[in-house]
Formats: sequence, structure tokens, C-alpha cells
Amino acid sequence: MSAPSVARSRVLPAVLGWGTLAFSIVAIEGLIRAGLINRFIVPMPSEILLAFPRIVSEESVLSRFMLTIAEAFSASFLVAIFGIAGGVLLHRFNLLRQATETWVAALAAAPLVLIYPLYLVIFGRSATTIVMMGFTAGLAPTVLKTLEGLSATRRVLVDVGRSFNLTPAQQFWKILFPSALPTIFVGLRLGLIFALINIVGVEFLINFGGLGQLINELAERYDLAGTYAAICFVVLVSVCVFVLMERLERWLRPVD
Amino acid sequence: MAAMSTPSQRLAASAEAASARPILVVDDIVKRFETPDGVLTAVDHVSFTVKPGEFVSLIGPSGCGKSTLFNVIGGLLDGYQGSVSVAGERLAGPHAAIGMIFQEESTFPWRTVIDNVAFPLELAGLSKAERYARARHFVELVGLDGFERRYPSQLSGGMRQRVSMARTLAASPKILLMDEPFAALDEQTRLLLGDKVLQIQQELKQTTLLITHNITEAVQLSDRVLVMTYRPGRLKREVAIELPRPRTSEIVSSEAFGRYVAQIWGDLREEASRGLRDDEKHKRASDHA
Amino acid sequence: MAEAGRLTATAAPPLRALLRPVTLLRIAIIVAVLGTWELVAASGLLYRDVVPSLSAIAAALGKTLSDPSFYLHLGTTFYEIGLALLFGGASGLAVGLALGASKLLARAYEAFLYYLGPTPKIIFFPVMIMWFGVGAGSKVAMGAISCFFPIALNVAAGMREIDPVLIRVGMSFRANPWQMVSKIYLPAMRHPVINGLRIGLGVALIGTLLAETKLSNRGVGFLVIQAYSLFNMPQMYALLIVLFVIAIGLNALIGRLGGIDEIKRR
Repeated sequence: MSAPSVARSRVLPAVLGWGTLAFSIVAIEGLIRAGLINRFIVPMPSEILLAFPRIVSEESVLSRFMLTIAEAFSASFLVAIFGIAGGVLLHRFNLLRQATETWVAALAAAPLVLIYPLYLVIFGRSATTIVMMGFTAGLAPTVLKTLEGLSATRRVLVDVGRSFNLTPAQQFWKILFPSALPTIFVGLRLGLIFALINIVGVEFLINFGGLGQLINELAERYDLAGTYAAICFVVLVSVCVFVLMERLERWLRPVD
Repeated sequence: MAAMSTPSQRLAASAEAASARPILVVDDIVKRFETPDGVLTAVDHVSFTVKPGEFVSLIGPSGCGKSTLFNVIGGLLDGYQGSVSVAGERLAGPHAAIGMIFQEESTFPWRTVIDNVAFPLELAGLSKAERYARARHFVELVGLDGFERRYPSQLSGGMRQRVSMARTLAASPKILLMDEPFAALDEQTRLLLGDKVLQIQQELKQTTLLITHNITEAVQLSDRVLVMTYRPGRLKREVAIELPRPRTSEIVSSEAFGRYVAQIWGDLREEASRGLRDDEKHKRASDHA
Repeated sequence: MAEAGRLTATAAPPLRALLRPVTLLRIAIIVAVLGTWELVAASGLLYRDVVPSLSAIAAALGKTLSDPSFYLHLGTTFYEIGLALLFGGASGLAVGLALGASKLLARAYEAFLYYLGPTPKIIFFPVMIMWFGVGAGSKVAMGAISCFFPIALNVAAGMREIDPVLIRVGMSFRANPWQMVSKIYLPAMRHPVINGLRIGLGVALIGTLLAETKLSNRGVGFLVIQAYSLFNMPQMYALLIVLFVIAIGLNALIGRLGGIDEIKRR
């Protein structure tokens, strides 16, 4: 590709995108200073920026971050084990699959996070509630994707296995499971994302935990700039996790 | 799984083969299917034999039941009448002495070439070093040396079929059963791979049964060609191909070759046009329905 | 399995449906779950009332559904969700159309939407309260920003999947932009749009209800958190049941409307 067209197709959109963002920030700053936007509703971007180091040092952002990540890890671990096992089970026992697949699909689309008050009663205001919530939210998509991956194994590969007279266990471990692995990873990624969203959300709602709680606290203290800064921080973390997961998935899939 | 034999053993085996008992006996196979339109007879009393070291092709128009036969002989289909025996043993599921090569893409995309080829050796419990050593021999045999560590996605369609072939050969099957393995490839690649197959077959004295719809391929590679009728599939004719061996793809341009092709084409044309008329009849019936 | 088939073939049609193995298994599972529940409830194994008896839950359900004030709260929630879908959906549609139509805009901005999509929107709630007050406004805003992202992304993707020849037909007839959108783009994209709507409804529902549980004095979410604070467990279960039935029902309805078998991607 020629240099000008490279510029047009790669540099220009990037400039446009980030430029718009930068421009909006500067514009908002200007409008607030000019008094056109109420500074008690929208703090100045400059103030928000200054709040970052403050909350990092004062609010032990790092340990909060670690707490949220630990909760996410625990939930993901449970999701992986039960989600994949569930999908394998449903694949293995076709009758069970026929009976329950639509139920699982319905659960995947249902507002499961609304169960959190129930978990509050059962587990109290604790990390257990948060982890259980993450686990509950991430389970169904993982089960479904695992099932999908196993079922989508190309017929000819199953036939290859049969032609070599593989035992059912060999057939599963040497053919079905490896073939399904890419889709299973997609399921795990979805599960993790659902879990993380619910974890941070519930931390906010029950005012316990890591980053979610931080936002809630700062809001209740009417620390405007701090609240905005904390929200930005959480958004940043969420985006980073998401990008990381995509990279990981692509790295683990050299075969496609 | 048979162990790899030495060249002298193989020579002795081929001498035996000339007068030997057949290694594959397909006896009076009838296979019917239930469809929404009624009972379909795919294979109708088909019998034939294959001697050790022979290369036999089964050719027929689309819909003649040859893929059904492939699956029956391969042990992937049951519920048929008649029997299939390998070296005297009657078939009950996929037989260890039969190696299958499928029409579709069948390499394992998550394994490298060498891991694909070593698959049957892995199943047999060989150590990693041992099976890599043996697999490498077959990788070289199909002409893919240098590509051991590549993944199938990095190879062309023809190369992937060669990997499938090497994998099946690595199991040292007594009988190689192939279902239109080159169907998805272009004509030139087909001819060259045909050369490869000939070369391999000659080197290993491999008994081969090839299912195909391609006349050129059938005549180029085979000692005998069995022509099937359109559905219900029966054996219409058996043609002995008396072209000299060793053969290469150059044989395609010889006169004798042309005569064999014409003869078989005559038979197939008859069957193929029956097939076309049949399809038209069905289409008209379903349009009125 | 074949014998069961032959057996059921001779039974009367509704009985036949009941005797199908799948149905039997489903009934068995439901009975097993409910049975275990009742056992746990009766045994007092867990802290009292965390697992109330099925009869208590049924009673609470009946009471709730016959209580006129419940429907006021339900109405509030529906109103909030409806408005959220309106604002979020309209803006999502507009942005999606713009991104789908222009490669430049897509390359510039779509990544932002894609990566901002999976963030937990509830954390924006304090900001929504500041901007829109403690009433319905903040709840509607929560729902709206929740459903904006999936709708915009689905619409953009849907536009790109339109068969280009259809667009050329429109241009050959010199249709103006509004006609292109209403007569070509939208009809051609109805499946991705409906799918986006289905997902959008789901997340708008969640966003609105979560906001209600956090800070509200009306709506079903408020009722749930009220039941929690009063430790009225049967009532909480009853409300959750109603919520889930509505959510799953709406999801299935939209899916059916849009021909869900063709919409297998999410």
C-alpha cells in the first residue's frame, strides 16, 4: 500500500478518534471554567486528573484492585471448572441436553445479578457474596459455549477417531476436547467478563470489596472529582482486562 | 497394528500376492436407508474381492452408493446385509487392518504435521522419540519433509491431504481405503498427488481400494476398476487395467489409457444420465407437491 | 428409546407428549429440585427462612400479584425501562447507522464502543444521580447507557453485513438518505437489529433494576431491596420469581418475533 493510503486508513481514524476524545475533554474544561456547565455536577477534567494520585495514595487503590482481581480469579476458577464440566456433561448425555439446554440458555439471558440481595442474606456482606455472584453470572455462557464447541466438532474428525477404534475416553480427550478448545476459550472469556462486570457492580451495590466499593464510598462522601477519577480508573482496568483476554485467546489459538 | 516390515519381507509378500487369497472380501452387501420418501436402496448386492498388493478403484456416478460402501467397508456403518471380511476375519466395527482416508479435510488443526502423522503411533503407546522417528519416515514418504512443525492451517489443501495420508499410512494398515481424497483439489495437483500415491503404493506394495468418480484417476492408479451403476448401486463391470508398471502421470497421454477411459466413460455416461433423469423426476414431483 | 417411541405412538396425542423421555426428564428434574428445596426448608438446616417452604413462597407470590400497589411499582419499572430503551435505542441506532455507513467513523470510534461495552455501567450511577436527580431520571439514564452499547454495535455490524448489491440498487434509484435508511438499510438489517434490541432490553432491564435497588422508593427493584431489609424472604423470592418470568418471557418474545433460530450469534 502506498504511504498516503496507509496514512488515510490507519493514522487518520486514530487521530480522529483520540482527537475527538482530547477535544471533548478540553471543551468540557473550557465550558466548566466559563460557568456554562455546573462545576458541582461535572468536575473539571483537570481536577479529576489531580484526584488520581490522591485516591491512589489515600485510598489504597492497589490493595483494592488486588481484592477485586482476587475475587474475579476465584469466580473465574469456579466458572471454569463447573462451566466446562457442565458443558461436557450436557454433551455426553444427550437426553439431559435436550431437557435442559433451553433452560440454560434462558438463564444466560436472565438478569441473574438481581439475586444479589438473596446472596446478601445467605452469605452476608462479604467477599463470598461477591464471588458467588460472579460465579453465578459467568456459569451459563461458559456451559453453553463448551457445549457448542463440543457439538461443532467436524463429523469427519469424529470419523477419523472411529476409524482408529478409539475408546470413548480417547475420543473425548484426543479429538472432541482439542477441537472444542477455541470455542471453550471464547466461553471462558465471556464467563470472565460477565463475572467481572457483576463483581464490580455488586461491590458497588453492597458497599464492600475493592474497586466497586471505592466508587461508592467516594460518592457517599460527595468527593466529586474523586468519584469521577475512580470511575475512570475502573473503566481503564476493565478495558485492560478485556484487551488482555483477547490477546491471550489469540495467542492460545495458533491454529486458526 | 502391523509392525513395519523390511524390504525383503515385503518382496516375499508381493510374490505371495500374485497367487494369494484375497485379503478383502466384500460379500453380497445390501444397504438400505429409510428416508421421508420411502426406503432407499443405496447398495444392491455388491460383491468383489481385493488381492494383497492390488490397487482397485471403485468408480460410479454421484449417488451410486460408493460412499455408503466406503463407510460399510470402513466399519463406520452397520445395519447391512452381507459381510465384509479382512484376511478371513469378519468385520465388526472399524478393522485394525483397514486405514481410512476421508474425502473432507481431516487433519487435526490443533496438532502439528508430525503430531498428526504420529497419532496412530501415539495410540499404540510408542514413546515420543520412537513415534517421531517413525512418523518422520512417512512425512518424507509423502514429500512433506521440512514441514514437520507446521500447523495444517499453514499448508495448502493438497499438502493437508498428504498429511492425512501419511497419518493413515503410519498405522501400517494392510488395506488402504480412500474416499475421493483428491476431490477438493484442482486437476494438476490431483495428477501430481496421483503420482505420489502410485509411488507410495509401489514402494509399500500397499493394498488399496480407492472410491472415486474421476475416471482419469481410476485408470491412472489402478490394477482393476470396478464400475458401479446408479442407485441402487450394483457392480456393472470390472475392467482390468493392463498398463505397465511403474506408472507416472505421463501415462495419461498414452493411447491405451485413452481407450480405457473411453470404455469406462461409456458405462458411466449411461448411468449418469439415468441419474440426471431421476433427479429431474424428483424435482418435478416436489414442485407439484 | 425406540421401544418407547413405538409405545407412545399408540397413546393419545397429549399423553404422547407427556410420555416423551425429554418431558419426563424435565418433570423429574423439577420435582427433584422442588423436593430438595422443601426438605431443606423443613429441616431448618440453614438459618431460618433463608430457604422458606414452597407454600410460604406461593402465599407471598399470591399476595404480591393480588396487591394493587405492586402493579404501581411494576408500572414504574416498565416505564423506566421503556424510556431507557427509547433513548438508548434511538441513539444506539443512530450511532450504529453512522458507524456502519462510514469506514472512517467506524475505524475511529467503534473500538471505543467495543471496549467500553463490557464495563459495569452501574458504577456510573452516582454520576447519573448528580445529573438527573434521585427520581426516575437517573434510573432511565442507567438503563439507557446500558443498552446504548450493544444496540450501537449490533446495528453497525448488521449494516456491514448487508448485501452490497442492495445498496447499489438504492443508489441507482437515487434514494435520499432517509429513504435509504428506512427502505433499504433497516429492512435488510432487521435480524441484527432485533438481536441487538433483545440484548439491549436485557441489559436495560438489569441497569434499571439495579439502580432501583440502590436508590429508589419505587419500582420492583426497590421492592426487592425492601423485602431484604425487612428480612421478608418469601416476599423476596416471590418478587424474584416474577422478575425472572418477565425477563425470560420478554427475551423469548422478542426472539420469537425476530426468528431466533436464524439469530444464533450473540
